[in-house]
Amino acid sequence: MTVKKVNLTEQDFDLAHPINKLRELNEPKEHPEQRQNSLARRLRVSDHAAAVELVDIYYKQIYLFLRRLGHDRQASEDLTQESFLNAWHHISQLRDGKSLNGWLYRVAGNVSKLYWRKHKGKKTATLEGFDTPDTTNAQDDKVERNEQLEQLKNAVARLPIKLRQTIVLHYIQQLTIAESADAAGTREGTFKSRLNRALAALRKQVT
Amino acid sequence: MGKEELKELLNKLPVATTEPVRPGLAEDIKRQIPQKLSPHRGGINTINIIIDFRINKLAAAAAIIITIIFCATFLGGRDSTGGSVLQDSMLLIKYLGAADASVISAGRSKYEHLLERGEDVVWYGDRLSPKDSNAVLMQRKLDDGMYEVMFIDGREKQVTTEELLQLLTRMLQKKAK
Repeated sequence: MTVKKVNLTEQDFDLAHPINKLRELNEPKEHPEQRQNSLARRLRVSDHAAAVELVDIYYKQIYLFLRRLGHDRQASEDLTQESFLNAWHHISQLRDGKSLNGWLYRVAGNVSKLYWRKHKGKKTATLEGFDTPDTTNAQDDKVERNEQLEQLKNAVARLPIKLRQTIVLHYIQQLTIAESADAAGTREGTFKSRLNRALAALRKQVT
Repeated sequence: MGKEELKELLNKLPVATTEPVRPGLAEDIKRQIPQKLSPHRGGINTINIIIDFRINKLAAAAAIIITIIFCATFLGGRDSTGGSVLQDSMLLIKYLGAADASVISAGRSKYEHLLERGEDVVWYGDRLSPKDSNAVLMQRKLDDGMYEVMFIDGREKQVTTEELLQLLTRMLQKKAK
Protein backbone atom coordinates (compact mmCIF):
# COMPACT_ATOMS: atom_id res chain seq x y z
CA MET A 1 0.00 0.00 0.00
CA THR A 2 1.41 3.39 -0.94
CA VAL A 3 1.30 6.11 1.63
CA LYS A 4 0.75 9.64 0.47
CA LYS A 5 3.42 11.94 1.88
CA VAL A 6 2.60 15.52 2.67
CA ASN A 7 5.26 18.12 3.32
CA LEU A 8 4.52 20.34 6.25
CA THR A 9 6.43 23.28 7.59
CA GLU A 10 7.42 23.23 11.25
CA GLN A 11 4.84 25.88 12.02
CA ASP A 12 2.05 23.91 10.38
CA PHE A 13 3.13 20.89 12.36
CA ASP A 14 2.16 22.64 15.53
CA LEU A 15 -1.42 23.17 14.49
CA ALA A 16 -3.97 20.76 15.88
CA HIS A 17 -6.17 20.67 12.82
CA PRO A 18 -3.60 20.17 10.07
CA ILE A 19 -1.99 17.35 12.02
CA ASN A 20 -5.27 15.54 12.25
CA LYS A 21 -5.74 16.00 8.51
CA LEU A 22 -2.25 14.56 7.97
CA ARG A 23 -3.11 11.54 10.12
CA GLU A 24 -6.22 10.94 8.06
CA LEU A 25 -4.16 10.99 4.88
CA ASN A 26 -1.35 8.78 6.12
CA GLU A 27 -3.26 6.16 7.99
CA PRO A 28 -4.98 3.17 6.45
CA LYS A 29 -8.60 3.96 5.73
CA GLU A 30 -10.57 2.90 8.76
CA HIS A 31 -13.99 4.30 9.45
CA PRO A 32 -13.54 7.04 12.10
CA GLU A 33 -16.42 5.64 14.12
CA GLN A 34 -14.88 2.15 14.07
CA ARG A 35 -11.56 3.60 15.11
CA GLN A 36 -13.08 5.54 18.00
CA ASN A 37 -15.09 2.50 19.10
CA SER A 38 -12.00 0.35 19.09
CA LEU A 39 -10.06 3.02 21.02
CA ALA A 40 -12.85 3.38 23.59
CA ARG A 41 -13.10 -0.39 24.01
CA ARG A 42 -9.35 -0.69 24.55
CA LEU A 43 -9.39 2.20 27.01
CA ARG A 44 -12.13 0.55 29.03
CA VAL A 45 -10.06 -2.61 29.42
CA SER A 46 -7.15 -0.49 30.61
CA ASP A 47 -4.95 -0.86 27.54
CA HIS A 48 -1.86 1.28 28.08
CA ALA A 49 -1.19 1.64 24.34
CA ALA A 50 -4.71 3.00 23.85
CA ALA A 51 -4.02 5.62 26.52
CA VAL A 52 -0.87 6.68 24.67
CA GLU A 53 -2.87 6.86 21.43
CA LEU A 54 -5.50 9.00 23.13
CA VAL A 55 -2.83 11.46 24.27
CA ASP A 56 -1.32 11.61 20.78
CA ILE A 57 -4.67 12.31 19.17
CA TYR A 58 -6.08 14.78 21.65
CA TYR A 59 -3.42 16.59 23.65
CA LYS A 60 -3.09 19.52 21.24
CA GLN A 61 -6.83 19.84 20.82
CA ILE A 62 -7.37 19.86 24.58
CA TYR A 63 -4.54 22.34 25.16
CA LEU A 64 -5.93 24.71 22.52
CA PHE A 65 -9.46 24.24 23.84
CA LEU A 66 -8.28 25.40 27.26
CA ARG A 67 -6.33 28.29 25.74
CA ARG A 68 -9.43 29.32 23.80
CA LEU A 69 -11.44 29.25 27.01
CA GLY A 70 -9.12 31.98 28.23
CA HIS A 71 -6.44 30.22 30.30
CA ASP A 72 -2.85 31.35 29.96
CA ARG A 73 -0.16 29.06 28.52
CA GLN A 74 1.07 27.67 31.84
CA ALA A 75 -2.41 27.10 33.22
CA SER A 76 -3.48 25.46 29.97
CA GLU A 77 -0.57 23.03 30.11
CA ASP A 78 -1.30 22.17 33.73
CA LEU A 79 -5.02 21.80 33.04
CA THR A 80 -4.36 19.62 29.99
CA GLN A 81 -2.35 17.26 32.17
CA GLU A 82 -5.06 17.36 34.82
CA SER A 83 -7.73 16.62 32.23
CA PHE A 84 -5.95 13.48 31.09
CA LEU A 85 -5.35 12.43 34.70
CA ASN A 86 -9.06 12.81 35.38
CA ALA A 87 -9.83 10.92 32.19
CA TRP A 88 -7.71 7.95 33.35
CA HIS A 89 -9.50 7.93 36.69
CA HIS A 90 -12.96 8.10 35.18
CA ILE A 91 -12.39 5.84 32.22
CA SER A 92 -15.21 3.55 33.36
CA GLN A 93 -17.68 6.37 32.61
CA LEU A 94 -16.74 6.24 28.93
CA ARG A 95 -19.64 4.63 27.10
CA ASP A 96 -18.53 4.04 23.51
CA GLY A 97 -16.42 5.48 20.74
CA LYS A 98 -19.21 7.77 19.63
CA SER A 99 -19.06 9.65 22.90
CA LEU A 100 -15.25 9.74 23.15
CA ASN A 101 -14.89 13.28 21.79
CA GLY A 102 -17.66 14.74 23.92
CA TRP A 103 -16.52 12.88 27.02
CA LEU A 104 -12.91 14.07 26.85
CA TYR A 105 -13.95 17.66 26.18
CA ARG A 106 -16.41 17.46 29.08
CA VAL A 107 -13.62 16.30 31.40
CA ALA A 108 -11.46 19.22 30.21
CA GLY A 109 -14.39 21.64 30.49
CA ASN A 110 -15.01 20.56 34.08
CA VAL A 111 -11.34 20.97 34.95
CA SER A 112 -11.49 24.47 33.48
CA LYS A 113 -14.68 25.29 35.37
CA LEU A 114 -13.09 24.23 38.68
CA TYR A 115 -10.04 26.35 37.89
CA TRP A 116 -12.14 29.47 37.29
CA ARG A 117 -14.06 28.78 40.49
CA LYS A 118 -10.79 28.61 42.43
CA HIS A 119 -9.34 31.69 40.72
CA LYS A 120 -12.26 34.07 40.73
CA GLY A 121 -11.36 37.44 39.30
CA LYS A 122 -8.44 36.17 37.23
CA LYS A 123 -8.40 37.80 33.81
CA THR A 124 -8.77 35.69 30.70
CA ALA A 125 -5.73 35.41 28.49
CA THR A 126 -5.74 35.86 24.73
CA LEU A 127 -4.05 33.79 22.10
CA GLU A 128 -1.42 35.48 20.03
CA GLY A 129 -2.45 33.47 16.97
CA PHE A 130 -1.13 33.39 13.45
CA ASP A 131 -1.92 35.43 10.40
CA THR A 132 -5.13 34.26 8.88
CA PRO A 133 -4.69 32.77 5.43
CA ASP A 134 -6.57 35.03 3.08
CA THR A 135 -7.41 34.25 -0.52
CA THR A 136 -8.20 37.82 -1.51
CA ASN A 137 -5.45 39.87 -3.11
CA ALA A 138 -6.71 43.31 -2.23
CA GLN A 139 -4.65 44.69 0.65
CA ASP A 140 -7.50 46.84 2.00
CA ASP A 141 -9.87 43.87 2.16
CA LYS A 142 -7.27 41.87 3.99
CA VAL A 143 -6.67 44.61 6.55
CA GLU A 144 -10.40 45.05 7.12
CA ARG A 145 -10.90 41.29 7.42
CA ASN A 146 -8.08 41.01 9.94
CA GLU A 147 -9.56 43.84 11.96
CA GLN A 148 -12.91 42.09 12.01
CA LEU A 149 -11.23 38.87 13.02
CA GLU A 150 -9.45 40.66 15.84
CA GLN A 151 -12.77 42.21 16.95
CA LEU A 152 -14.37 38.79 16.84
CA LYS A 153 -11.61 37.19 18.93
CA ASN A 154 -12.01 39.91 21.54
CA ALA A 155 -15.78 39.63 21.46
CA VAL A 156 -15.58 35.85 21.98
CA ALA A 157 -13.19 36.41 24.89
CA ARG A 158 -15.67 38.84 26.49
CA LEU A 159 -18.63 36.44 26.30
CA PRO A 160 -19.86 34.87 29.54
CA ILE A 161 -18.14 31.53 30.07
CA LYS A 162 -21.11 29.34 29.07
CA LEU A 163 -21.66 31.20 25.81
CA ARG A 164 -17.95 31.36 25.09
CA GLN A 165 -17.75 27.59 25.58
CA THR A 166 -20.48 26.97 22.98
CA ILE A 167 -18.65 29.06 20.36
CA VAL A 168 -15.32 27.44 21.18
CA LEU A 169 -16.72 23.90 21.07
CA HIS A 170 -18.77 24.20 17.92
CA TYR A 171 -16.99 26.74 15.74
CA ILE A 172 -13.40 26.63 16.91
CA GLN A 173 -12.95 23.02 18.04
CA GLN A 174 -15.35 22.07 15.24
CA LEU A 175 -17.33 19.49 17.18
CA THR A 176 -20.79 18.55 15.97
CA ILE A 177 -23.81 19.92 17.84
CA ALA A 178 -24.33 16.53 19.53
CA GLU A 179 -20.68 16.27 20.58
CA SER A 180 -20.60 19.88 21.72
CA ALA A 181 -23.77 19.44 23.78
CA ASP A 182 -22.28 16.31 25.34
CA ALA A 183 -19.06 18.19 26.06
CA ALA A 184 -20.97 21.08 27.64
CA GLY A 185 -23.04 18.62 29.68
CA THR A 186 -26.33 19.93 28.31
CA ARG A 187 -29.09 18.73 26.03
CA GLU A 188 -28.86 19.55 22.36
CA GLY A 189 -31.79 21.98 22.59
CA THR A 190 -30.16 23.90 25.42
CA PHE A 191 -26.89 23.97 23.55
CA LYS A 192 -28.51 25.31 20.37
CA SER A 193 -30.29 28.00 22.33
CA ARG A 194 -27.01 29.06 23.98
CA LEU A 195 -25.32 29.06 20.59
CA ASN A 196 -27.99 31.38 19.19
CA ARG A 197 -27.59 33.71 22.16
CA ALA A 198 -23.83 33.71 21.68
CA LEU A 199 -24.16 34.45 17.95
CA ALA A 200 -26.59 37.28 18.63
CA ALA A 201 -24.18 38.79 21.15
CA LEU A 202 -21.28 38.51 18.69
CA ARG A 203 -23.28 40.07 15.85
CA LYS A 204 -23.90 43.10 18.02
CA GLN A 205 -20.25 43.48 18.91
CA VAL A 206 -18.56 42.85 15.56
CA THR A 207 -19.13 45.49 12.91
CA MET B 1 -22.95 42.13 10.79
CA GLY B 2 -24.93 39.53 8.85
CA LYS B 3 -25.41 36.03 10.17
CA GLU B 4 -23.67 34.34 7.26
CA GLU B 5 -20.80 36.81 7.34
CA LEU B 6 -20.33 36.15 11.04
CA LYS B 7 -20.34 32.40 10.50
CA GLU B 8 -17.80 32.76 7.73
CA LEU B 9 -15.60 34.77 10.06
CA LEU B 10 -16.10 32.27 12.87
CA ASN B 11 -14.90 29.50 10.59
CA LYS B 12 -11.58 31.31 10.35
CA LEU B 13 -11.12 31.31 14.12
CA PRO B 14 -9.69 27.76 14.39
CA VAL B 15 -6.59 28.95 12.52
CA ALA B 16 -6.62 32.49 13.88
CA THR B 17 -6.62 31.24 17.48
CA THR B 18 -3.94 28.60 17.17
CA GLU B 19 -0.49 28.62 18.65
CA PRO B 20 2.40 26.20 18.88
CA VAL B 21 2.08 23.59 21.59
CA ARG B 22 5.14 22.73 23.65
CA PRO B 23 6.47 19.49 22.15
CA GLY B 24 7.26 17.94 25.53
CA LEU B 25 3.68 18.24 26.75
CA ALA B 26 2.58 14.93 25.26
CA GLU B 27 5.50 13.13 26.90
CA ASP B 28 4.69 14.74 30.26
CA ILE B 29 1.14 13.48 30.01
CA LYS B 30 2.19 10.01 28.87
CA ARG B 31 4.52 9.69 31.86
CA GLN B 32 1.48 10.10 34.11
CA ILE B 33 -0.53 7.27 32.56
CA PRO B 34 -1.09 4.81 35.38
CA GLN B 35 -0.21 1.16 34.85
CA LYS B 36 -3.86 0.24 35.37
CA LEU B 37 -6.15 2.95 34.10
CA SER B 38 -9.16 2.60 36.35
CA PRO B 39 -10.29 -0.59 37.99
CA HIS B 40 -14.05 -0.82 38.18
CA ARG B 41 -14.97 0.42 41.63
CA GLY B 42 -18.63 -0.24 42.19
CA GLY B 43 -19.04 1.76 45.38
CA ILE B 44 -17.08 4.79 44.30
CA ASN B 45 -18.80 4.78 40.93
CA THR B 46 -22.21 4.67 42.59
CA ILE B 47 -21.29 7.70 44.67
CA ASN B 48 -19.98 9.46 41.55
CA ILE B 49 -23.18 8.71 39.66
CA ILE B 50 -25.22 10.05 42.57
CA ILE B 51 -23.09 13.20 42.65
CA ASP B 52 -23.31 13.50 38.84
CA PHE B 53 -27.09 13.33 38.96
CA ARG B 54 -27.05 16.03 41.66
CA ILE B 55 -29.37 14.10 43.94
CA ASN B 56 -29.61 15.89 47.24
CA LYS B 57 -27.71 14.76 50.28
CA LEU B 58 -30.67 13.00 51.91
CA ALA B 59 -31.51 11.00 48.80
CA ALA B 60 -27.84 10.11 48.37
CA ALA B 61 -27.67 8.91 51.99
CA ALA B 62 -30.84 6.88 51.48
CA ALA B 63 -29.39 5.25 48.36
CA ILE B 64 -26.21 4.33 50.22
CA ILE B 65 -28.17 2.95 53.18
CA ILE B 66 -30.42 0.87 50.94
CA THR B 67 -27.30 -0.55 49.26
CA ILE B 68 -25.79 -1.41 52.67
CA ILE B 69 -28.99 -3.05 53.92
CA PHE B 70 -29.41 -4.90 50.63
CA CYS B 71 -25.85 -6.25 50.77
CA ALA B 72 -26.09 -7.14 54.46
CA THR B 73 -29.35 -9.01 53.91
CA PHE B 74 -28.14 -10.96 50.92
CA LEU B 75 -24.75 -11.80 52.37
CA GLY B 76 -26.67 -13.41 55.22
CA GLY B 77 -24.65 -11.89 58.01
CA ARG B 78 -27.10 -9.59 59.72
CA ASP B 79 -30.77 -9.13 60.22
CA SER B 80 -31.58 -5.94 58.39
CA THR B 81 -34.12 -4.83 60.97
CA GLY B 82 -32.49 -6.53 63.94
CA GLY B 83 -30.56 -3.59 65.24
CA SER B 84 -26.96 -3.14 64.19
CA VAL B 85 -27.42 -2.42 60.50
CA LEU B 86 -30.32 -0.12 61.26
CA GLN B 87 -28.36 1.62 63.99
CA ASP B 88 -25.35 2.06 61.71
CA SER B 89 -27.65 3.47 59.05
CA MET B 90 -29.14 5.96 61.48
CA LEU B 91 -25.70 7.08 62.60
CA LEU B 92 -24.76 7.48 58.95
CA ILE B 93 -27.85 9.58 58.32
CA LYS B 94 -26.94 11.75 61.29
CA TYR B 95 -23.33 12.02 60.15
CA LEU B 96 -24.44 13.15 56.72
CA GLY B 97 -26.49 15.85 58.34
CA ALA B 98 -29.82 14.57 57.12
CA ALA B 99 -32.99 15.46 58.95
CA ASP B 100 -33.84 13.71 62.21
CA ALA B 101 -37.20 12.96 60.66
CA SER B 102 -35.41 10.22 58.73
CA VAL B 103 -34.38 8.58 62.01
CA ILE B 104 -37.99 8.64 63.18
CA SER B 105 -39.24 7.10 59.95
CA ALA B 106 -36.53 4.41 60.07
CA GLY B 107 -37.50 3.68 63.70
CA ARG B 108 -41.13 3.51 62.66
CA SER B 109 -40.28 0.85 60.06
CA LYS B 110 -38.57 -1.20 62.74
CA TYR B 111 -41.54 -0.76 65.08
CA GLU B 112 -43.97 -1.99 62.42
CA HIS B 113 -41.75 -4.93 61.63
CA LEU B 114 -41.55 -5.93 65.31
CA LEU B 115 -45.30 -5.48 65.69
CA GLU B 116 -45.90 -7.82 62.77
CA ARG B 117 -43.69 -10.39 64.47
CA GLY B 118 -45.97 -10.13 67.50
CA GLU B 119 -43.46 -8.46 69.82
CA ASP B 120 -44.58 -6.34 72.76
CA VAL B 121 -43.62 -2.86 71.51
CA VAL B 122 -44.82 0.68 72.24
CA TRP B 123 -44.25 3.58 69.85
CA TYR B 124 -43.81 7.16 71.16
CA GLY B 125 -42.53 8.73 67.94
CA ASP B 126 -45.78 10.47 66.98
CA ARG B 127 -45.58 12.86 69.92
CA LEU B 128 -41.87 13.63 69.91
CA SER B 129 -39.82 16.56 68.80
CA PRO B 130 -36.68 15.52 66.88
CA LYS B 131 -34.69 18.13 68.84
CA ASP B 132 -34.87 16.17 72.12
CA SER B 133 -31.93 13.76 71.85
CA ASN B 134 -32.84 11.77 75.01
CA ALA B 135 -36.46 11.18 74.07
CA VAL B 136 -37.56 7.54 73.87
CA LEU B 137 -38.79 6.65 70.42
CA MET B 138 -39.86 3.10 71.11
CA GLN B 139 -39.82 0.46 73.83
CA ARG B 140 -39.75 -3.26 73.37
CA LYS B 141 -40.28 -5.82 76.13
CA LEU B 142 -37.65 -8.56 76.18
CA ASP B 143 -38.15 -12.17 77.33
CA ASP B 144 -36.13 -11.69 80.55
CA GLY B 145 -38.40 -8.86 81.77
CA MET B 146 -36.03 -6.10 80.68
CA TYR B 147 -36.93 -3.42 78.13
CA GLU B 148 -35.02 -2.40 75.05
CA VAL B 149 -35.48 1.30 74.35
CA MET B 150 -34.60 3.15 71.20
CA PHE B 151 -33.78 6.84 71.55
CA ILE B 152 -34.55 9.44 68.95
CA ASP B 153 -30.87 9.75 68.01
CA GLY B 154 -30.76 6.07 67.05
CA ARG B 155 -29.09 4.74 70.23
CA GLU B 156 -30.46 1.54 71.77
CA LYS B 157 -30.17 0.52 75.41
CA GLN B 158 -31.50 -2.27 77.63
CA VAL B 159 -33.12 -0.95 80.81
CA THR B 160 -35.05 -2.27 83.77
CA THR B 161 -38.70 -1.38 84.40
CA GLU B 162 -37.67 1.32 86.91
CA GLU B 163 -35.20 2.89 84.53
CA LEU B 164 -37.79 2.90 81.78
CA LEU B 165 -40.27 4.63 84.07
CA GLN B 166 -37.67 7.26 84.92
CA LEU B 167 -36.92 7.86 81.24
CA LEU B 168 -40.59 8.21 80.36
CA THR B 169 -41.30 10.48 83.34
CA ARG B 170 -38.36 12.72 82.39
CA MET B 171 -39.66 12.83 78.84
CA LEU B 172 -43.17 13.81 79.97
CA GLN B 173 -41.80 16.48 82.33
CA LYS B 174 -39.80 18.05 79.47
CA LYS B 175 -42.86 18.01 77.30
CA ALA B 176 -44.98 19.63 80.03
CA LYS B 177 -42.47 22.52 80.26
